[in-house]
Amino acid sequence: MQILKQAIAGTLESSDLMVKVAPSADDALEVIVHSEVIKQFGAQIRKVVDDTLRQLDVRAGSIVIEDKGALDCVIRARVQTAVLRAADASQPNWEKLS
Amino acid sequence: MTGDLEFLHVTPANDPAATVRIRQLLAQCQLDLDCDIDIFVSAEVRGQMVACAGLSGNIIKCVAICPQLRGESLSLRLVSEVVQLAAERGHFHLFLYAKPENVPFFQGCGFYPLVAVPDTMVLMENSPVAMRRYCDTLAAAHRVDGERVGCIVMNANPFTLGHRYLAEQAAQHCDWLHVFVVREDLSLFPYADRYRLVAQGLEGIPRLTLHHGSSYMISRATFPGYFLKDKGIIDSCHTAVDLLLFREYIAPALGITHRFVGTEPFCAVTEKYNRDMAYWLQQAPSAAPAVHVSEIARKTLSGTPISASEVRRLLCQRDFGQIEHLVPDSTLALLQAKYVNNAEACAQACG
Repeated sequence: MQILKQAIAGTLESSDLMVKVAPSADDALEVIVHSEVIKQFGAQIRKVVDDTLRQLDVRAGSIVIEDKGALDCVIRARVQTAVLRAADASQPNWEKLS
Repeated sequence: MTGDLEFLHVTPANDPAATVRIRQLLAQCQLDLDCDIDIFVSAEVRGQMVACAGLSGNIIKCVAICPQLRGESLSLRLVSEVVQLAAERGHFHLFLYAKPENVPFFQGCGFYPLVAVPDTMVLMENSPVAMRRYCDTLAAAHRVDGERVGCIVMNANPFTLGHRYLAEQAAQHCDWLHVFVVREDLSLFPYADRYRLVAQGLEGIPRLTLHHGSSYMISRATFPGYFLKDKGIIDSCHTAVDLLLFREYIAPALGITHRFVGTEPFCAVTEKYNRDMAYWLQQAPSAAPAVHVSEIARKTLSGTPISASEVRRLLCQRDFGQIEHLVPDSTLALLQAKYVNNAEACAQACG
């Protein structure tokens, strides 16, 4: 899936996260995770984000995450939503999102 | 209490009643209502205004929370709402000004400090990488190393023979010269026209790179001032932020050693900007190396300094005979094409 425009999803409230997605200038994929629980769960958050991006076949773009201690399923859902918005996907492939 | 919380959008131009309540809340927090806010997110509990955050383009301003309700949960929701609203309005790259003591809070909301005016304010943006990426791009595409690398930032509203003279003088004193055109479309002449006239007007000057401006230099984002009552402080702060951004990011990226500026005999604000430049680029304590400021006496025409404001005044009177002596042919052609038979554009020029 191609990131065509900027998009956001989520909130900054506790147990949620805000995901900001933007096209990249140089076709690279850059993921930045900021979290209040980065020391305990940083690696796990990063893994969920990377897996979700791979599932969506996102190979280029800038993904910035402000995490407020969200559960894995919430992280996955927010990343999916932000990417779908940024890719202008009106007909998402729901099977790929499971 | 927060169960009754309701978030609303308030457009000051259309909703005087709600705007009065926002003004009262801001006053409670020692803040003024800025006149350039496009829209507010407000939070109300049973009809009582308890928090607000304003948007002026891509700048978050006038953020206030009723003192009795301060705590993480309301403020994080407020910032989420305003970021969401900005996104709906097409703004993803956001700036905000924070008092130094509020920086940690906004860092928890996805904002990162760019530049700090000691004890006064901090400019933040909502990306950990945008500035670095901007500087990397500048450096990769345009860095030219030299003993003396100069820079001019010009609005060129419109480009005059004075701008040409300044660039020629600067170029003579440098190994390379970078010229930036102020990008913000807040001037009489639209950015596309200003940039084109600068490009045409600087033709033939060797060892020069012309750049598009950005939100990081002389832009809406570098003009703060809402939480400071003292107007004197506001003025010196907005110059400080702009100049420190230049010294700490843009100058190092391009290896700029000198900044050139024309003397300012007419406009008090620009004159102050020039004076502040000498302080913030050269003397102020900073981790970044000093940038030498070179003030060049303006080109004059029969004893009167040439200025873009004079050209605008003459344009208002449609005195093309006088304008002819102050601007290059390219500028004159554009002025004639756009303004000779265009009453509306002229009215705007005179407004």
